[in-house]
Amino acid sequence: MERPAGIFDIRYEQDMAIIRTRPQWICLIGFLILLAILPLFAGSYFLSFMILTGIALIAVLGLNILTGFAGQISIGHQAFVAVGAYTTAVLMDSFRWNFWATVPMAGVSAAAVGVLFGLPSFRLKMLYLTMTTLAAQFIIMAFFNHAFPDYFHAVSGIRVNRPELLGIDFRENEAFYYVVIGITAIMTYFSRNLVRGRLGRAFVAIRDNDLAGEVIGINVARYKLYGFATGCFYAGISGALHASYYRMVNPPQFPIDVSIWYLGCLIVGGMGTTIGVIYGVFFLRIIKEFVTFISPILGDMVSPFDAPKIGPGLGIISWALVVVLFLIFEPRGLAHTWEVLKSRFRHWPFKFSI
Amino acid sequence: MDIFLQFVTGGLFFGGMYTLIALGIVTIYKSTRVFNMSQGWMVTLSAFMLMTLVQLLGVVGGVIAGLAFGALLGFGIDRLLMRPLIGQPLIAAFLLTIMLAYIFEGINILVWGSMSYEMPIKLPGESLRIGGVVIGHSLLWGIVTAVLAFTAFSIFYWRTLMGRVMRATAEDHQTAQSLGLPVKRVFSLSWMLAGMLSVIGGLFLGVVSGVNMLMYQSLLGAIAVVLLGGLDSIAGAIVGGMILGLIQALVVGYLSPSLADVIPYIILLAILIIKPYGLFGLVRIERL
Repeated sequence: MERPAGIFDIRYEQDMAIIRTRPQWICLIGFLILLAILPLFAGSYFLSFMILTGIALIAVLGLNILTGFAGQISIGHQAFVAVGAYTTAVLMDSFRWNFWATVPMAGVSAAAVGVLFGLPSFRLKMLYLTMTTLAAQFIIMAFFNHAFPDYFHAVSGIRVNRPELLGIDFRENEAFYYVVIGITAIMTYFSRNLVRGRLGRAFVAIRDNDLAGEVIGINVARYKLYGFATGCFYAGISGALHASYYRMVNPPQFPIDVSIWYLGCLIVGGMGTTIGVIYGVFFLRIIKEFVTFISPILGDMVSPFDAPKIGPGLGIISWALVVVLFLIFEPRGLAHTWEVLKSRFRHWPFKFSI
Repeated sequence: MDIFLQFVTGGLFFGGMYTLIALGIVTIYKSTRVFNMSQGWMVTLSAFMLMTLVQLLGVVGGVIAGLAFGALLGFGIDRLLMRPLIGQPLIAAFLLTIMLAYIFEGINILVWGSMSYEMPIKLPGESLRIGGVVIGHSLLWGIVTAVLAFTAFSIFYWRTLMGRVMRATAEDHQTAQSLGLPVKRVFSLSWMLAGMLSVIGGLFLGVVSGVNMLMYQSLLGAIAVVLLGGLDSIAGAIVGGMILGLIQALVVGYLSPSLADVIPYIILLAILIIKPYGLFGLVRIERL
């Protein structure tokens, strides 16, 4: 973390602060106010864009803890989101729980399932552990598809009602937006703080060299499980919001494609940086919206026979290609690009250095 | 008993298909240490391409052009996408192959749409009837090709000079390079071989079950085969493929068809917990 010249820490609180300078405080408060007043002038399209981005953001924050910090690549994250979504849906549908009570339960149950599938990490690492997450994706989704039809209603799906609190009805998108953005902001703050503490440092040690980490006294297997637990907890929270936003939960909502898309967000943003997660999710979400906007226009230009292919085809190629280009040309992601830009600006007219 | 044998032959065919895909993954992994997640998607793309080429050029010309396409595809992936990643952590190349799979899927949808087509190739021969068991000749062709591919690869790896160079490269890239072995050419060659294997796999799968977008769904199961047999073992690819094919066919036949998609992953999880390096895989000892 580079600071502008002239900023010196003279107290421990300053040294530990996340936000260090007055301009940073102004930017943060300005941004939060902007988020708060957004529904006043944004259209319904933009609001639903923000809600979906927030839900995805929470999931990718979890994946960032697991993959970016603890170094355990997961290609089954959406299945853990599904665990959270199903926890909320079943508790509300079959057991008449209040939505607000199910949100932490969704996180805890997803974390428990995450730890279960993380258990092989006692023996496995890297590629092999990644394969267990692939297995997790398919086994969990098959479980929701075929097991307990009385609870999971795989064919018809489970209906979920939007929540209510202190007389405020969150059924409209304008109100539900505040639920999602509020939870997203809290989760972002937690994630930023978590990785600076003992847990985060242990994660980074495991990621960079697990043998060396073990030698200096980190219980590698246990911290890998902590990584799975926290990462999947985030996925579960995201799942609870997902269920509530769509008002409906069924298995096709949680394909492996989305798990890979989350990984793509992480690569584009920059693995192992919290700010990068935000850049990455927004970047790929904007590309997605742009493709949905442009494909009818392109569809008009080609024959009617080819027109229906363009939307789904471009939809997949666009983000996958972007991620491939990032992997080759900027593996450290947008977060690094932003740092380079800032550094260039700061050092101008001298050569930049980072 | 007849039904049992019928399931077994069907299982052996899918085992053969799994073997062809797993061989592609193992070939790449053996020399480059990159796990190619997109092999199943390469097979699907090759099947579509082969179909179009056969329609244009006839069967013989189409298959030859298809094999050339497979080699070109593998060469292109290595030269354009994998070569820039040399020196970066292997996990970057692994992630790139996942993304590559989605690019192939997108190309498939853009060019051919998501319909199902019939492969315009008729395999010579007629289906056999032994007792009450009917063995489709395409199944026979598939199994025989898988075994042939396995034999050819074994001979290639153990008897030819290039095979030896490839095995040496697999041991240690830097040592191989400093001994003067053409490491980059080995990488390109393994990708080209994998590309051609994907065309052969696409041919048989296309003939039996039609060319459609659902292929890669089932082909993802080949990953379980590779881990079951051992990541760097050619013999593991065929043994693992046959085991998985048989188990899948028997479970689908006797228990429930809905389990078909999960079986590979349950086996995958089991083998990772019990014997992580697979049946024939090399156990690597790590040093700090």
